[in-house]
Formats: sequence, structure tokens, C-alpha cells
Amino acid sequence: MAETHADWLREMEAKSRAKQSAFVGGISQRLGRPRPTDAPAQPFRGAPEFWRGFEWTPEERIERFAGNWRSVGGHVARLPDMDAVREFIAGKAAEMGARYIVRQNEPELAALGLEEALPEAQVSVWNTDPDICWKARSAEADFGVVMADYAAAYTGSVAVLSSKDKGRSVSLLPTVLMIVLPVERLRTRLGEVLTEFDRAGRKRLPAGIHFISGPSRSSDIENDLTIGVHGPGVVYALIVG
Amino acid sequence: MSAKTAAGTVKERAELALNDDFLRKAVKFTTERLRNGKKNASAEHGNWDEWRERGRQIRLHTIAHLDYYLNQFVNNARANGVHVHFADTGADAVKIALEIARRKQAKTVVKSKSMVSEELHLNDALQEIGVEAIETDLGEYIIQLAGETPSHIVIPAIHKNRYQIADLLSEVAGEKLEADTTVLAGFVRKKLRENFLEADIGMTGCNFAIAETGSMVLFENEGNARMVTTLPKTQITLMGMERIIPSFEDLEVMATLLPRSATGQKLTMYMSAITGPRRSEDADGPDEMHIIIVDNGRSLQLGDPEFQELLNCIRCGACLNACPVYRHIGGHAYGGTYSGPIGAVLTPALNKNVAEWDDIANASSLCGACYEACPVKIPLHEMLIYLRRRKVEKGYGNKLEGAGMKGFAAVMGNAKRYRMAVKMGQIGQKLVVRDGGIRTKLGPLKGWNSYRVAPSLPKMSFRQRFATLDQEIREGLREMSPDVKSRMEEAIKRRKQDGGGHGHG
Repeated sequence: MAETHADWLREMEAKSRAKQSAFVGGISQRLGRPRPTDAPAQPFRGAPEFWRGFEWTPEERIERFAGNWRSVGGHVARLPDMDAVREFIAGKAAEMGARYIVRQNEPELAALGLEEALPEAQVSVWNTDPDICWKARSAEADFGVVMADYAAAYTGSVAVLSSKDKGRSVSLLPTVLMIVLPVERLRTRLGEVLTEFDRAGRKRLPAGIHFISGPSRSSDIENDLTIGVHGPGVVYALIVG
Repeated sequence: MSAKTAAGTVKERAELALNDDFLRKAVKFTTERLRNGKKNASAEHGNWDEWRERGRQIRLHTIAHLDYYLNQFVNNARANGVHVHFADTGADAVKIALEIARRKQAKTVVKSKSMVSEELHLNDALQEIGVEAIETDLGEYIIQLAGETPSHIVIPAIHKNRYQIADLLSEVAGEKLEADTTVLAGFVRKKLRENFLEADIGMTGCNFAIAETGSMVLFENEGNARMVTTLPKTQITLMGMERIIPSFEDLEVMATLLPRSATGQKLTMYMSAITGPRRSEDADGPDEMHIIIVDNGRSLQLGDPEFQELLNCIRCGACLNACPVYRHIGGHAYGGTYSGPIGAVLTPALNKNVAEWDDIANASSLCGACYEACPVKIPLHEMLIYLRRRKVEKGYGNKLEGAGMKGFAAVMGNAKRYRMAVKMGQIGQKLVVRDGGIRTKLGPLKGWNSYRVAPSLPKMSFRQRFATLDQEIREGLREMSPDVKSRMEEAIKRRKQDGGGHGHG
């Protein structure tokens, strides 16, 4: 019997490695051939050929993205620059009476100067103080403010990637989510974003990649659509540029 | 698989469902809503059959090389810091999950939807060692409170109305909650928020696992799967061994097919790719991440030419919504974890006990709507026929039906006997024919005549009239206009030259 939890994990690891060859070997046996050592050639990989060249103009991307986002109950604002973003968020915070705001620790958001624009509210910056429980801080927040890393117009989706400066909780726990999306990060197809992760490779992937396509929703009670079941119910995409 | 065998046969369970008016209407309404959503979404997207074919090809290839891709996934997941475990059976998987829970001294486990977990009946097992398992998908939470099992793969509480749900939730709240969807969902949000933040372990299923990066992918609308993979310190993911796809590029195809087929959405509100536990500097995400890879009967399908394609299934539920039988009897009538056409094939296949589950293979009209709906083109209707054949081959066929078929063969194989049988029928039926039809529910006629009228045998059968018909045709041919006649003669000549084939394909 293992002494500490770490010992036990090591024990389980050894067991798992021993089991792996039998488990995978069993599959080879059922498939009726030895296990291939080289990567099998994929006859078809990814989307059909006719799809790969498909691209909208920047303006059409914005239009389609906004249309998709609105169709699922999300809100969209098209803003000329980051100053307008600050004004928009400050305006909404005043309108809704937001007191607690949590934002990602990103240079673009720091440059916004939300702290000065919202003297009434408490603005926290993700993971800047080791003594704070950042999950709880996000859970009590009225607004979460994040930058979109990528977006795909065809499905109306925004991708946010985690890091030490970018909490997964910030786009999940607050009541209202504000996503700042610079136009140059908006692509046409989902595949344009996904292939970035193949290109980056395992070692450079963050722990969490989250595609968000609108407010949290459910139709589990009598097929009646409910918004904001677990995640944010009010979601703004602020398209900048 | 230790599937709970629901009492009785499919027919008995279906009758229960058919008597429940609300259930029948709810199932019909929901399946129609989802089916229409899918139809619109696939039509709007365009080239649907080409996407389906692409999805099928990717799944076929991955399953045909599952040993390579699974091994690759495991090695990459380990490199990401995931603790990977292998479970041959459901019992093995439960044992591993319980051991982790014990080691972590867990009090509560929050779960997002996982069909594998339903296969394992993990909640009961956790409860036995004093760990509270909380389902957090709104529908799953409701049916867990009711002590029931899911009746639909995508909308598990399809069979409950909001008054029943209000009663269940009021009990938890300790006060009377209004039967209003927003009020009820709001209560669950608040209640489960506390659970998410306090739980020791988060448990998820796995829609897809990416071999090249060791990432696991989840599709959801509510955000509970994100909660479960973001807040608790330990994450356990239960993964069917066949969930693999090679790359993120391939995920685009699955992300195109799955949400559109399941609910008619372009994409679910959240699609998350989790690659290992939190990085040491991250302030959220699990410290420790386990993936339990479950066989539990899946490998039985490998190398079986008739059933290997079952492993291509991406669990979208489109076949349920398309199935005329499912729409009438609902999910519980199937008696296993998986319902609808996929359940009718998967349950016996995973269990390898055709005898026990044979009757659900009969709960289908073989119309092929399931195949038409399937985003990866699994020929479910053909598999249902294979199952029926295997059942008969194994000697589990209906003895009476077998005897009847033998008798039928004896009569049909001999002209004299056939003639005698028809004559006897024509004389014998005089006792039961009323107004040109047979209405008696005696003996073998009961099943048919309960709802319909069996036609009587005509006074003169086709065979009995054949001599006259033959004569008439010959006479008729002679009077045929010369060009028609020559065309027909030409056709007969051609047919003889072609060796008597039917001339198509």
C-alpha cells in the first residue's frame, strides 16, 4: 500500500504502463494484424477540399459573426477603437449597476484603463495576487472582461486560451461576459482556427482552449429555452476596428 | 457491461410508455423539434452528404488503426501530465474511479454528462463509499433527483413536465417553487454553483480525444462541463476507447456534424479542448487529471465486419429523433443505457448476450431512417437484421415461428400439396368469413385481427385461374399491332441472349 498520494500515483502509473501494451495489443489482435509502428497515412484529413478555399471578406465576416451571435441570444457592438470599448463597458457597468469586475491580465485590457473609468466598481486583474482565491473572485464578479484569441464567423464562435494571465473562470463564472474581439482575429471557418492548434503542437498548447458561441443555455425543461443556466447569461461581443 | 435489466420485454415496457400520454407527446414534440432543427441546419450548411462521407471516412480510418491512435493519444496525454488508466470492463473502471475518490478523500463529485458513466452505474458505486455524486447537466440533475435514468441521449429529462420538475426541486429547496422554467433553472444555477466551488472531484465524459496532442474535447451548451473541468482540484474523465480522432483539423468535421445532427446548432455554446491539468502558474483548472479509458465490450466490435462501424458513432442522437419507433415508445422502453436505433444495436453488441437483449432488435421497422439521419452513415438498419439473424442462428429464434416456416416450406415446395391447402382453405374459411373479411381473433389471427381485418381467400385463386389467363394472353397477343408484337419478341430474344438476367446492374 502506497504511503503518500504521490507514491500511489507512481504505483498507478507503473500499473497503467504495464497494462497499456496488453490493452493496445488486444486491439491489434482483434484487428487481425501487428500494431503499426509508423503513423498510418490518413486518406482523408480534415474538411472536404471544396471547403478549404471558402472565405468571406472582412466586412462579411463581421456581418455573419454578428448575425450568428445575435441569433443565439448574444449581444454585439461594433466599435471603432479601444477608447470606445472602455466607454461601452463603463456605460454598461453604470447601466446594470456592476460593482465587481474581473479582467484578464492582458496588455490590451490594461491599456483600457477600466479602473479609472469605473471608480465606483472594484476591478480585479486575474492572478495578480497569490493570496486571493481567483475562482471565488470570478464567481462573485458581475462582469468578466476577456480578449478573444481567435474567432470564426461561420459558426459565430470566439476562442479563448488559458494561461497564467488568462483564467478559464473569467469567461465562465461572472454574470455578464464582455469579449473584446479585434477584427483581425476574426476568420471565416472554424477550421482556420483549429489548424492553428495542430500547427502549434502538443507542447505549446494551453491547458484550456474554449470556444464560446453565445450565452449558456438549456432546453432541458419541456424544451423551453433558458439562458444563463451555469455560465454567463449575458454575453457581449465587442468587435473592434 | 452491468446494464440494469429493466423488467419485462421491450413490448411490455413500450406499452407502459404508450399509456403515458404526456411522455408520448413530449417525446414526439422533442424529437420533431430536434429532427427539424437538424434538417434545417444540414440543408443550410449545404453539401451535407459530402460532409457525412468525410466524417465516415475519418472515423473508419481511426477505428481501423485504433491501436496506433489510442497508443499515440495515451503517450501524448501522459506527456501533458495526465494520469491515464485502462479498464477492460465497467467494473474495472468503477474500481479505478473509486480508488481515486478514496485517495482524494472526496466528499462530493460534480459530474457533467457522460454516457460511459451511465454504462458503469458509477453514481451508485460512489454513494456506497459515502461520496455524493451530483449530476450538473440540468436535465441529468432533474432525473437524478427523481431517481430515474435518461430517456434521450441529448435531452435526458424529455419525459418530465415542469410541474413534476417543480415538485422535485421544491423538495430540495425546502420551499414551493413556481413551475416556471426560468425560476426552476435559476434555482438549479444557484444550488449547483455552490457544489461546483466546493466539490473535490469533477467528472466528465469525452466527446473526442485528439491523438496527436493528447487533448480531450467536450461539447456542451450549459457551461457545466467547463465548471467541472475548471473548478475542482481533481478531474476524472471517462472515455470510451473509440472516441479518438487524429487531429484538430479532423475536429472541424466532427464539430460540423455533431451539433447540427444533435440539436441543429451550428456549434454548441461551448466547445472545450482540455490538454492536461493546469500549468503550474495557472490559477484555475485541475491540479490532477485522470483519464480512464474504457473498453467494456467495445473491442468485441473490432474485426467484426458486420458491427465494427458501430464504433464510428459520435453519440449525437439523430437516429433516435428520426426513428418512428423511438418517437412512439420513448427511451426507457429500450431498457439499456443507450436507446433508439443505436441502442437497439449497441446494447446487445456491448453485452455480447444476444439472448437477453434480442427483443430490442425487433423494436424497429427497418425503414432505414436511422441510417439516413446518421452523420457518419452507420448502417444501423442492416445491423438490426444481422442481430436478428444471429439470434436465430444461436437457437434463440421463436420455436413456433420456426415450425411454421418449415410447414410453409413443405406446402409451398410441392404443387400438389399447395393445391390441396388452398382448396381446404377455401372450404374451411366459410366458417369465419363475414362481409368478405375474416374478423375472428382466434389463435394465430389474434395479433393481426386486433387492429385489422384479414382478407378472405378469393373463390378462384390466381393459380386456379391461370389456365384461362394464359389462354387469354395468347389470344390477346395475336391481336396485338404488328409493331408492338415485334418489339416484344425482340425483347424476349435479347433477354435470352443476356442469359436470362434482369438486365439491371
